[in-house]
Amino acid sequence: MDAVRLMKELRVNYEQEVDFLPREAGLDLIVSAHGGQITARSRDVTVEDLWSLTSFFGYSTQSFVQAVSLLDRFLAMMRVQPKHLSCVSLSCLHLAARVTEEECDLTPADELIRIGQCRFTASDLGRMEKIVTEKLRFKSKAVTALTFLQLYHQITLTHATYRKETLSLEKLEAQLKACLCRIAFSKAKPSVLALALLRQEMKSLQSEDMLEISFHIQRHLKIPDAELQLWSEWVARRLSDYASPKCSKPNHRKLQWIVSRRTAQNLHSHRSVPELPTIPEGCWDESESEDSGEDVMSSGDESLCSSLGSDAEGPFFPLHLRRQYLAA
Amino acid sequence: QFRLTVGFCVLFVLADVPVPEQPELFLKKLQQCCTVFDFMDTLSDLKMKEYKRSTLNELVDYVTISRGYLTEQAYPEVVKMVSHNIFRTLPPSDSNEFDPEEDEPTLEASWPHLQLVYEFFIRFLESQEFQPSIAKKYIDQKFVLQLLELFDSEDPRERDYLKTVLHRIYGKFLGLRAFIRKQINNIFLRFVYETEHFNGVAELLEILGSIINGFALPLKAEHKQFLVKVLIPLHTVRSLSLFHAQLAYCIVQFLEKDPTLTEPVIRGLLKFWPKTCSQKEVMFLGELEEILDVIEPTQFVKIQEPLFKQISRCVSSPHFQVAERALYYWNNEYIMSLIEENSSVILPIMFASLYRISKEHWNPAIVALVYNVLKAFMEMNSTLFDELTATYKSDRQREKKKEKEREELWKKLEDLELKRGLRSDGIIPT
Repeated sequence: MDAVRLMKELRVNYEQEVDFLPREAGLDLIVSAHGGQITARSRDVTVEDLWSLTSFFGYSTQSFVQAVSLLDRFLAMMRVQPKHLSCVSLSCLHLAARVTEEECDLTPADELIRIGQCRFTASDLGRMEKIVTEKLRFKSKAVTALTFLQLYHQITLTHATYRKETLSLEKLEAQLKACLCRIAFSKAKPSVLALALLRQEMKSLQSEDMLEISFHIQRHLKIPDAELQLWSEWVARRLSDYASPKCSKPNHRKLQWIVSRRTAQNLHSHRSVPELPTIPEGCWDESESEDSGEDVMSSGDESLCSSLGSDAEGPFFPLHLRRQYLAA
Repeated sequence: QFRLTVGFCVLFVLADVPVPEQPELFLKKLQQCCTVFDFMDTLSDLKMKEYKRSTLNELVDYVTISRGYLTEQAYPEVVKMVSHNIFRTLPPSDSNEFDPEEDEPTLEASWPHLQLVYEFFIRFLESQEFQPSIAKKYIDQKFVLQLLELFDSEDPRERDYLKTVLHRIYGKFLGLRAFIRKQINNIFLRFVYETEHFNGVAELLEILGSIINGFALPLKAEHKQFLVKVLIPLHTVRSLSLFHAQLAYCIVQFLEKDPTLTEPVIRGLLKFWPKTCSQKEVMFLGELEEILDVIEPTQFVKIQEPLFKQISRCVSSPHFQVAERALYYWNNEYIMSLIEENSSVILPIMFASLYRISKEHWNPAIVALVYNVLKAFMEMNSTLFDELTATYKSDRQREKKKEKEREELWKKLEDLELKRGLRSDGIIPT
């Protein structure tokens, strides 16, 4: 696609993106919620689970991004109980996958539910999908940050073809995914979020000419500096957290480890507690000094066999030998 | 065994006799019990067998509760009586095909007497009055050697008693310890490299467990040699399941005593990793987990690469129990913490097989476990995981492309061949 047509397409999407933004008031409610309601943390955890499933089933980033868009919009519009959250999110993923993936690559609902370790049934999922479709008047793909990322990427390449290998769309998509796992970014306009990500990557590649192109895009879409700056800071912080070595230990729902009965039996039979008491090794030369050893031993002999300790301690060990033993 | 022709006079019961006369009566009863009866013939000497049985019972009680009964003369008589009863040539096993894992063992016919003799001997050894300095004249290397041979008995009850007997002897006779260790060494080596037949491996290992537990630090070189030259090769034997629990216990005890032995132990296990026996593989995985439960982080780092290469193979095993057991490592908190610390090394090793079996494994339960493992990795090291996913995907795409090109090439050749054949003579070549 040539540069002019790309820019046109950019404009068109820019105008449409507002239609797909989740209600800000709704998002705020979630962020400030606690206890028996859906919180920011629970939303983030659910989105991370969606990403795990996307990755596991080989779905594209597009399916994931679409699913998150549906989820955020739905949550911002309806008051959903926490116990229904996983059903809502999985139905968003299933819907998104249906319009994105090839028929042959679609995972059936049962398998999705089984792997996701969910408690509801496939018919529950079907019903939820209908509800989501109705409420969001879902017809086709939403305009998302991914839409813009892909366009920006193409535009950059038409202007700087020799940079094809370095500006990686996969890397940008992974970074977008990292951002979408935090509800804070649901408020950002997709075009701005995508541009912030683009610029972040270009800065790390230290390419002045690519940054020049990004300025061009910003001016074309008339994105205010302050807004871009704000989101650039958020993105930078999120990406540095994401890449940091300290792992966020998940303290949410623990995963189920279901093993077959035979394996489960094997797991416990191995801890065999020994019945024979420990026999401490002497430090004296066992083959020669038996006389001296045993004469002294004879008084407290049974203690050797009946004591469970192995450290030459206790009143049974004659003092002069004990000193030797501990010194050895 | 032949019967003494001298008439058997029935002696008084020990408890009925005044205390000063008991030691002498004790000796007489010991002498009487030297006579061994034939239990294979179930109808012979029933009265005599019963008499001996009740005599043996008396002896057991006497040794347990009496005080001041153990004279110097008693020692040789006790040892003689015990020797006469227990030392015998063990019957050859029923057939060469006796499978210790499957078949019922042949039990000892003379157990009614034998059991009491063992019981008596143990209480004798444990008695407060027992003096090793006197006993060592009679319980010597020859005695121990014969005792060890009995461990090959098919009767598990006998082996259990022998285990206790040898354990007590090892504890009390310091002068015999080195000899006992050496003989056990030989038994094991012969078992591993020559015969693969010995019924008492588990019992001997149990005794060794209590010995290893008592090792002084630093460990003697002799003990370390034993670990590497005997215990590790013991893992290669076909009948491993009969004594694996005891063997694993010994190994773990060694490592708790001296963690620097971890690397040679794990490398040894990896070297002998079963290649065709899945049941053994599951055992190895269990033992490995026990070792990892006590491993020090510095030791872990030394062997993590070869270790996880093997685990990655196990995880891909078509035998679902092997795969399941290996995947379950990720449910172990301590192992998880070690993996987390070293995820940048471990994740690349595991990634490809995990991803592949998530798509290809026939068993749905395995697929579900793989999801858990992948999810854990994803959360541990997100950026590395993303990189590996991207590389894996592009590799797969490249492979697919090559496949397609290859197919097209063959098709072209086929067409070419067909055209050539048709052109020249109109006959389609076969």
